[in-house]
Amino acid sequence: MAYVATRGGERAIEQAERLFREEIGPFDHSRVHEIKQSLPYLIDRVMGEASLYDEDLAALALAQTGGEMFEAVLLLRAWRTTQPRLTVAKPVEQKDLFTHRRISAAFKDIPGGQVLGPTLDYAHRILATDVLGGSAYAPEPVEAAEKPAPANVPSVSAWQAENDLVDLPDPDPTQGNEIPDLTREPLLFPAKRAHTLQSLARAETGGTLALGYSAMRGYGSAHPTVNEVRLSEAEIEVTHPDGRTFSAGRVKLSQAEVVDKKGEKLSLGFAATFGWNEVKCISAATLDLNSPGAAKGSATEEEFFLYHTEGVESSGFCIHFKLPHYVTFQSSLDAMRDAKAKKAAQSSSSATEPAE
Amino acid sequence: MTDATLSTLARAETARLKQFAETLIEPLGDIEVVQSRTGLVMLPMRDTAQGTAFHLGEVLVSEAHIRSQGHEGYGMRRGTDLQAAMAMALVDLALQTGVSKETCEAFCAAEAAAQQADDTAVLRKVEATRVDMETF
Repeated sequence: MAYVATRGGERAIEQAERLFREEIGPFDHSRVHEIKQSLPYLIDRVMGEASLYDEDLAALALAQTGGEMFEAVLLLRAWRTTQPRLTVAKPVEQKDLFTHRRISAAFKDIPGGQVLGPTLDYAHRILATDVLGGSAYAPEPVEAAEKPAPANVPSVSAWQAENDLVDLPDPDPTQGNEIPDLTREPLLFPAKRAHTLQSLARAETGGTLALGYSAMRGYGSAHPTVNEVRLSEAEIEVTHPDGRTFSAGRVKLSQAEVVDKKGEKLSLGFAATFGWNEVKCISAATLDLNSPGAAKGSATEEEFFLYHTEGVESSGFCIHFKLPHYVTFQSSLDAMRDAKAKKAAQSSSSATEPAE
Repeated sequence: MTDATLSTLARAETARLKQFAETLIEPLGDIEVVQSRTGLVMLPMRDTAQGTAFHLGEVLVSEAHIRSQGHEGYGMRRGTDLQAAMAMALVDLALQTGVSKETCEAFCAAEAAAQQADDTAVLRKVEATRVDMETF
């Protein structure tokens, strides 16, 4: 591909940006606050894809871009580079999660039981059009139970391992800066598992769903059954200069484990992300489940799905096609005209040849 | 085992924490501020399928590190509120140096109780969504 520098259009460029921002209008902290309060699932999605957890910044990015998700995520990914990394927290363990929702489609009687938590899974999808007529929408309050649910519930796969259904590996002892980090090293193939899972945690939701769905519909080799979906909060465990460890607060996260029969055991696929985003996790876990032995160039092959679900790169590549390609396109036209002329010359010369 | 007091301070209600820490500034006397900044904490998680530790992403935090009489006061909280992180560090330092010890302990106990009450309220609602399933 060849590029050429162009000059001119500075005024148009400036006015175009102004036009975009003028349509969104002026805003202040109150709009940011309103977005944060009213759209938590959108905030979660942006934080997950940006790989940066802060609700205020995510709400600000949405306010500033008028909800243009790719731009919002790009703003946050760019902003994070201005901040120093202070430390790496202790790895989050599933058994320590403050759990709001934990269900299994594979087993009815999982240890700890099935807790639906906040979900629209069983809701009637009816648009509350009365609101447009001036009515307020007030949701029915939850009738809280007498006793609280246990905050921590065991993992389904640990229970399956006890029942000889899955093989649980020894936990990876890697900690801190030894954990492979995609933001500091390139993604190479075959990818380290830590890179694969980090990349899926940052992946663009729509792209992950599209590729995961293709595997679910039969273009993959394994059909997923949801072993466990969990929405929870995790503690950020850090260390005081005197050596004491403590939690610097909590972040919301979601995770999914999917299973398929593999010989006499079950094989597991896994994914997790910042924020509450089940669709992304189930899709990503399905890709993880399907990736061993996937054909080159198929949607379930690691290289294929990791590259194509990286939202900042894919959207950036997509929109770059709008930029001037006059020289490359002219060159294509030249080649086309040349081929046409040669073909015309050929047919006219054959037309004038006398018949034998 | 994590330190319950520091964890409580990191989640303590911002306005109350700042207001309380104000009262400690004078009795604490001279303090060296080693660090007051925002930054990122990378948060890893362990995959339940293969046990691999991987990075979920970075969390924005504010950090305050202060020093007095050979003690290190430290605060780290989510978000960009540097004053709140400094307030946490002041309470931590006061607890270590014995300044306003009883009021500090009472403050931490009250905040821990408030957090426990919030958690219980959430978990009682979560419990209301427990399924007693029958299959046919």
